[in-house]
Order: sequence, then structure tokens, then C-alpha cells
Amino acid sequence: MDTIFLFDLDSTVTKQEILPTIAKKIGKQNEMRELTEKTMMGILPFQDSFTSRVKLLSQIPVSEVADLVSDIEVNEEIVEFLKENRESSFIVTSNLDVWIEKLMHKIGMDGRYYCSKAKVEDDRIVKIENILEKESVQSELTSRAKIVAIGDGSNDFDMIRKADIGISFGGVRDIAPSLIDVSDYSIYNETKLRKFLTAIKNGEYQNEQ
Amino acid sequence: MNNKTVIISCAGMGTRLGAGIPKALIDIDGEPLIIHTLKMLDKIEDVRVVVGYQAEKVIEVVKKYRDDVLFVYNHNYQQNGTGASVSLAKRYSKKFILTIDGDLLIHPDDMKEILASEQEFVGVCEPSTDDPVLVGVKDGKVTNFYEKNGPYEWTGITMLEAKKITPTDGHVLKLVEQVLPMDFKIIREKEIDTPNDYKNAIIWVQNNYNS
Ligand SMILES: [Mg+2]
Repeated sequence: MDTIFLFDLDSTVTKQEILPTIAKKIGKQNEMRELTEKTMMGILPFQDSFTSRVKLLSQIPVSEVADLVSDIEVNEEIVEFLKENRESSFIVTSNLDVWIEKLMHKIGMDGRYYCSKAKVEDDRIVKIENILEKESVQSELTSRAKIVAIGDGSNDFDMIRKADIGISFGGVRDIAPSLIDVSDYSIYNETKLRKFLTAIKNGEYQNEQ
Repeated sequence: MNNKTVIISCAGMGTRLGAGIPKALIDIDGEPLIIHTLKMLDKIEDVRVVVGYQAEKVIEVVKKYRDDVLFVYNHNYQQNGTGASVSLAKRYSKKFILTIDGDLLIHPDDMKEILASEQEFVGVCEPSTDDPVLVGVKDGKVTNFYEKNGPYEWTGITMLEAKKITPTDGHVLKLVEQVLPMDFKIIREKEIDTPNDYKNAIIWVQNNYNS
């Protein structure tokens, strides 16, 4: 059976939360932190929080944000796994297409991601056209594949719960407490994550060495 | 050595000691029990800890010692047995799985020998607990469990070839029974079940594992 790997982006593939890192560059870190923390804790509905966070950053030209995003540090071992398994992996993020395209290209994941979509005019965001609900991705994929989902935040809850194999990753920051109940595994080290994902890909009883 | 996945089962409640914490976390001479075990496993690449009761506490302690452990959730630990924990943890493992109950303290020299072993075995000891599971032995191999006057006691340690065993929800013995008869190894260990076991285990460690 085919295996498909779904990766959260922020604090799973990247070593920082993307939007807060950008907010910091323009001195909006406090407003952003408040929104992000409330969201990760599950107090603030994700859609509302996301809209507010985008608004906070929409004063910066889109191309500038895209550059900043593409400079964000990534977990190299996870990116290596993505490169080796490009054809069976997807990034699943609520971040905006226009902000992450450049980063996706840099890590070799052109065309291999699901995200939210924005309309841009004159290098500015004029409208959020669609906010991705992560759990919707599974139903879009061919049902015959085994789905492995990897994430760290409360917005990964349904994606991990619905996956055949749900992994919460705490290598960047603490795993959202809600994920514990729906995870099959927790992993706190990116090398270990890469090894275990490779073992899953190889299949049962093929990991003798 | 790296053809082995070591599985430490810590999902159970272990309330008989009355400490209110998972048994794997009880303090033995200044350190949680599971840390004593992990220190003997430094050379093992694939260590898996099965968690359930107070999972986050167990994870916190383990990852402070080493963060490259695979934590496996047994969410139904109140209903199922250690066999379920091992069945969950053995997926995508290496050739051999070494299963260790989280309430065991193993003699470091014996652990070295266990880790060097390249074949399946059942870990046994001289009968020592109040309510032992005794093993039947014939022609130098373990043939069955719950043998009334069996010469040895089952310990909660076994090395199995992962592909030979079918998952179970019950006791870990249900997994081992599938592959009997099997060689055995006599292992010096202390199982920590009662306050008295606990006291003895501490003395054992303080005396450099001389009993
Ligand atoms: Mg995340």
C-alpha cells in the first residue's frame, strides 16, 4: 500500500513559527504573540485568529514577506526526508500561498503543498480567499493510501486524529496538550523522526538493520 | 546491537505501591527507575517507551535524559494488558524486539549480556515474588507458562523476532506463548511491585547490585 506523509509547516518543518518571526521584524511581536498563543491553546477560533494575524502583516509588501519566510530556518533532517520522498509527501499549512511559495521552492516542495489562498494587488494582500482546514486534505487524497500525519499544534488535531498513523512532533517546541490524546506516537528529535518515518515507508519487517 | 528495538512498557498504573505516580518514575537511590534502565541502553539506537497512565510525566522524565526515544501511546491502558503495549510498539521495528516491563530493575552486567545476544530468549529468574508466574522447562527450553512447580519465574524480559508474533490485547505472555519452546536466560533483576520490593531494590542498587 502507498504511504502518504502530511507535514505541518510551522514548528514542524520550520524551526520557528513563521508569522511571529515576521511580526518581530516589523515590531508587532507582542500583538502577534498574543494571537498565536491563544490559537495554539485552542482558546481563539483558528479562522478568526488567522484573519487577524494576516491583517497585522498585510502592511508589508507580499514579496518582502515571501523573502522573509524563505529565510526562516528549517529542520534539515526533515527537509532531507521531504527531498527523498517528494512524491509521497505534502506540506499542509494554513499559511498563505503567496507568502510561502518561495520557501516551498527552496525546500524542493513546489506543487507539493496545501495552504490558504490570498488575492494580491500591487504587491499587497487585498483578500483572503480561502483558509485551509487541514483535515480536509485527507478526504481529497486517494483513499487507498496509508496516511501518516506529523504536527505539533492544536490546529493539527484533526489531521493527526484522522490519519492512519498520527505523530506529534516536539522537536521545536512543546506539543499542544490536546494532541496527546489523538497521537499514536510522540517524537522530540528530528533525526529520530526521519528514521521512524523511513521505517514506516520501508514497511513492517524491512528494518532489520 | 543495532538489530534490536528495545521496548519499555510504562503504560500501566502501578498503584499497588501507593505512590500515585507511574512505577517507572519511582525514585531508586536518587533517580527514577526508568533512568537506571535507560543508562544501560545508551548504545541502543531504537528505544521505545510505551506510555499511558500519566504519559506526559513519563515523557518529561525520559526526554530529559535522552530525546531520541520513540514514545508510543497505549491510550487504552486501563482496559488492555502489556501485550497490547508491546503489540503497538513493535510496529516498524528492527529484527528483534527486547521487551522490558517498566517496573523492572535489571543487573547492569546481565543487561550487557542481553544486548549482546543474537537470538530469541525468555528471561527467567529464581522464584522470588509472592505470586510468581512459573515456567515449565523441558530439554533446556521454556515450554509453557503457569507451570505449577516450574523451576524458574518469568521476569517480564524477552527477546523476540518481531515478525513471528501476532498482536494481542492481553498479557505479554500471550505474545511469547506463540513462539515457545524457546531458550531462556537467567537474569538478575528486581521487580518492584510492593513497598517491600521497593525497599529491597534500593538496597540492591546501593550495594552495587550485590544481594
Ligand atoms: Mg505547527
